Amino acid sequence: MTATTYVALLDGGKREETLRVKRIAPGVYGVTLRGVTRRVDAFPHDHGTISLLVDAESYSVQLDERGNGVRVHLRDSVFPIEILDERRARMRRPPGKLTAEGRLELSARVSGRVAAILRAPGEAVREGDGVLVVEAMGMENEVRSPKDGKVVEVAVSVGHSVEGGAVLAIVD
Amino acid sequence: MTERRPIQKILVANRGEIAVRILRTCREMGIRTVAVFSESDRGSLHVRLADEAVHVGPGPARESYLVPERILDAAARTGADAIHPGYGFLSERADFNRACRAAGLTFIGPLPESQEAMGVKTSARRRMQAAGVPVVPGSEGPIDDEGVAAAEAERIGFPLMLKAAAGGGGKGMKRCDRAADFPKLWQAAKRESASAFGDDRIYLEKFLDGPRHVEVQVFADEHGNVVHMGERECSVQRRHQKIVEESPSPVVDAAMRAAMGKVAVEAARAVGYVGAGTVEFLVDASRNFHFLEMNTRLQVEHPVTEMVTGIDLVRLQIEVARGGRVPAQGEIVRRGHAIEVRIYAEDPARGFLPSPGKITYLRVPGGPGLRDDSGVYGGWVVPPHYDPMISKLVAWAPTRPQAIGRMLGALADYHVHGIATNVHYLRAVLDHPAFRSGAYDTGFCSAFAKELVKPPDPALEPVALIAAAVAAHRRDHDRADAFATRAHGPGSAWASAGRARATRGGDR
Repeated sequence: MTATTYVALLDGGKREETLRVKRIAPGVYGVTLRGVTRRVDAFPHDHGTISLLVDAESYSVQLDERGNGVRVHLRDSVFPIEILDERRARMRRPPGKLTAEGRLELSARVSGRVAAILRAPGEAVREGDGVLVVEAMGMENEVRSPKDGKVVEVAVSVGHSVEGGAVLAIVD
Repeated sequence: MTERRPIQKILVANRGEIAVRILRTCREMGIRTVAVFSESDRGSLHVRLADEAVHVGPGPARESYLVPERILDAAARTGADAIHPGYGFLSERADFNRACRAAGLTFIGPLPESQEAMGVKTSARRRMQAAGVPVVPGSEGPIDDEGVAAAEAERIGFPLMLKAAAGGGGKGMKRCDRAADFPKLWQAAKRESASAFGDDRIYLEKFLDGPRHVEVQVFADEHGNVVHMGERECSVQRRHQKIVEESPSPVVDAAMRAAMGKVAVEAARAVGYVGAGTVEFLVDASRNFHFLEMNTRLQVEHPVTEMVTGIDLVRLQIEVARGGRVPAQGEIVRRGHAIEVRIYAEDPARGFLPSPGKITYLRVPGGPGLRDDSGVYGGWVVPPHYDPMISKLVAWAPTRPQAIGRMLGALADYHVHGIATNVHYLRAVLDHPAFRSGAYDTGFCSAFAKELVKPPDPALEPVALIAAAVAAHRRDHDRADAFATRAHGPGSAWASAGRARATRGGDR
């Protein structure tokens, strides 16, 4: 049986690791990582839970699938990992560098209700200044400006319900 | 007033885990139940558990759970004879309490007059001061005007606390360290308070350094009996929200318990209290205790007391509301140690940002001495409108170290997918040397913030990568039945039995 090569992206794409997976028998794999091949016996339990025997070490692993990636829960750690097959990994352009320059959209990190607008369009802001307040689950979360500049537009008003990711204001 | 009031159908004016918890006791007692739900709670667990359920408005609490008329209307429509308010929402609103009674309903809680006396926290403090109980210095009453408040803040001195007059649960509560921050915090406290309680009155209180938050459970009946059930230690707090509670408190010994219990009972007597109540104290480094406030309702962390006393506090609330009596002080026997942790839908790795959304998978721990008071289920979408607490996990054991060990094990078996939770954070709290030693105060979470939110363990990264890669391989290449084949062997007996039955034409 042929092996499949996967590229795993870690830390939001900042690091990557290559793994080669070869099925030896049903539920048993040879997995090569960082030059070492180990025998991995994977037994799926209920949804998202896999019992892994890596050689003889026993691990209970929780796989929480999220969009493109998976959050791997293992003991007290959570590893957000994005797995791509080799071909797709090659096709993917390197992630762009993020800089706080030019016009920037401030978006809601979580669904909630606009509780207050702290800066009106035209007002100057410094990096870290609160521009709006979004209330979610009874707690207030300040949406802060990522740069020095000026508020160009406020797209919402107090009392509006907003979805996570919605654009709230633009800072230039 | 000694006649027994029949209570045959209770409307639970709440949602989430507390509604579920109250409904369970009602079911045990053979009392019929009515749930109320907002637009976003149609699929909620408490709706499923109740005998009847009534829609009371849109998602935001101020348009549904916080509207007394809607709740009273639901009671009238379903013929409920009593209302259990739970905690939060309308539980400490004397006007709602009074309206229930005017509508001929039994309000499961104290008289409205007791709630008013304790509800205005400043008058409660004056009363306690008169009884010789030390109180935390603060403003005389709630302050309306921001300018007046700022001047009062200067007089009290910084750091100080801004607190919601109608408050509780950390909502509308802000710590202010310097005058420059005051205006912003004042506005924020008012908004949060209005949103959580429908009341934006704020008062000020001096911040004591290194305090512990210790509270005493009291219970009173209408025959003049008042007892206490010992303390709960609630000093592990984030953003003034309790996240871990335990009983007994590591700083309270038998003599101190008796002294605090006596003061708590006096406080309840002073306002003619009936039902379950909690008297909160701040304990300073020299173990002096200062009256903080009295909560005139069931407390979130009441299971801790239930685990060490064996008493179902909700059942006792209902018995007392029927005209029954509380047990004698001597009959209340405490045993062992209990710890509760609050599981929140929030992401410690992203500054504890609330994490509403769909729970794609949920598995909760079991075993001796464990109790999970949950309001959610796998498949439920946690709505953004309410408190992010999804469950309370409680562990009981004969000793404190055993209870800590039991809770650590239970948290390792608590799995929630789809949304972020604070489960790993709670494990870090319980495992911290300061917590294990018992020598911690309300500054614990901020003092050890860095140690409590841990990055993933690099030693486990290879295993995590292997797991993700094997899962991807399974998805991409393995036949769907490859695992099933192995699990049951080739030609599974169950599969062939099923096929045989199908060809025969179904069950006979």
